[in-house]
Amino acid sequence: MKSRRFTGWLFATPWIVTLIVFWLFPLLYSLYLGFTDYKLLNSSYSWIGFENYVALLSDHDFLLSLKNTLIFVIGTIPVTTIIALLLALLIDKKFPGRTIFRSGYFMPSITSMVVIALIFTNLYSRGGYIYLLAKIIGLSPPDNGFLLSKKTALFSVMAMDVWMSVGYYMLLFLAGLKSIPRELFEAAEVAGAGLWRKFMSITLPLLKPVILFIIVINTIKSFQVFVEIFVMTRGRYGSSTAVYFIYETGLNRFEFGYASASAYILFVIIALFSIIQFGLLRQEGFR
Amino acid sequence: MRVVKYIFLIFILVIMIFPLLWMFRVSLLPAGSSISLSDFISPVITFSIFYDIITSGNMLKYFMNSTIVGVTVTLGNILFCFMVGYSFSRFRFIGKNIWFYSVIFVLMIPAHVLIIPLYLIIYKLGLYDSYAALILPFLVNPIGIFLVKQYIDTLPTAMEEAARVDGAGEIRILFRVVMPLCKPALAVLAIQVFLTNWNSFLFPFILTSSESVRTLPVGLALFQGHQAIDWQHLMAGSALAVIPVLIIFLFFQKQIVSGITAGAVKQ
Repeated sequence: MKSRRFTGWLFATPWIVTLIVFWLFPLLYSLYLGFTDYKLLNSSYSWIGFENYVALLSDHDFLLSLKNTLIFVIGTIPVTTIIALLLALLIDKKFPGRTIFRSGYFMPSITSMVVIALIFTNLYSRGGYIYLLAKIIGLSPPDNGFLLSKKTALFSVMAMDVWMSVGYYMLLFLAGLKSIPRELFEAAEVAGAGLWRKFMSITLPLLKPVILFIIVINTIKSFQVFVEIFVMTRGRYGSSTAVYFIYETGLNRFEFGYASASAYILFVIIALFSIIQFGLLRQEGFR
Repeated sequence: MRVVKYIFLIFILVIMIFPLLWMFRVSLLPAGSSISLSDFISPVITFSIFYDIITSGNMLKYFMNSTIVGVTVTLGNILFCFMVGYSFSRFRFIGKNIWFYSVIFVLMIPAHVLIIPLYLIIYKLGLYDSYAALILPFLVNPIGIFLVKQYIDTLPTAMEEAARVDGAGEIRILFRVVMPLCKPALAVLAIQVFLTNWNSFLFPFILTSSESVRTLPVGLALFQGHQAIDWQHLMAGSALAVIPVLIIFLFFQKQIVSGITAGAVKQ
């Protein structure tokens, strides 16, 4: 029995080492760094208390990046969720060609974000397909394309993000729809319920845990938006986001202390959002 | 009604796959020609740009780097997530619950928030700008452990006990008895890990600087920098990044889908 106990430990060591070296230590280390004026590698640094945090609260770039991140989260998640649910409902029942639609809708979400962002940089640029399309339907796109304008840069990235991720969440909704017992619908039909009534009183209530779950994971993901911003705008035209700010200050200007403090502010915001949402999940009896 | 539904679904399908088609179309145009939107329906197809990026420049090197890192990380995850998941499922040892809860805790940490400390740790360990930097932090992942543990929980213990009675050692039981039973879960895990790693940008980007260890997504993202964007080469390089994913998608769609929905929809 003793040796079995040792074997259990032994088999778990890869995780224990990874957890300590690459997760717990970084979490504590950056908390500590946030209270220092650490700049540039191999330079000495000292404890400065809350100075970084105080400075951040009046740093225009940081506040703008936080605001953009919130716009990103609040702007994309409802749209993505609703479109994903709509698509899932449309292809839930078996019909010829169903797999083709499912695969096609899902394909963008397993493609590299860098590649998607590059393609859309082309489509959004002056003379690109989306630019042309906007002109055809009578909009007046910015002269230099959608990504080189303060008015449209962030929203263009957001639209691409919705396009990319609806297929992924559609799959989650499909799995959720599958778990709803068909008898419920049959009973409702016998009682003379129409499509809308069935949706409102069976589908939607029973999907509530899935909807909440999707919102939770999408929130955590969207708060960390970085790659598309880096590739498409490099944070210019007022499109910088929180993680872009962390990257820019920490790994471009090498202000490790300041960047760590900003990362912790973002971390706390995400944690608060997650705690609230998990509370809602628990209320739904989702474990 | 049926027709309207089909038209709508096809309309969405076109929106979803057009950008990828456009990428392939641009990459198959003759070199040096300027791109116009009508090229989409042009019948001309040449592989000269592909030939170009494979024989000159760094794209092929980036591709190889992505492959080396992706395969190593995937193999590491198969081995380690399996070991750890098995341990959490079958063994009792001090602190086990804490370690298992740590898996769920880490699942909820937004990893991008940790780029600064991770960069500094890798730098101070002397691993910056090496394959090790791209591999070591990612050899075992919480989702994988979770997936394997849940799977082993559903397996009966009879075979392990029989092997133990026969005097088989723990290592032998691990690899000869339990591992073959876990093949379906490990396949799901492997595909998920490989795709994630293949597409990953932020960490390879911040943990390396030289072209000799640069992965394909990083190479593509930094390719722009020059004056005018060379869309044909950029799209051909992008196609190089997408083709392996498409092939995997074609053959393992079932595993990909079950990997996504496994942890997600559980009452």
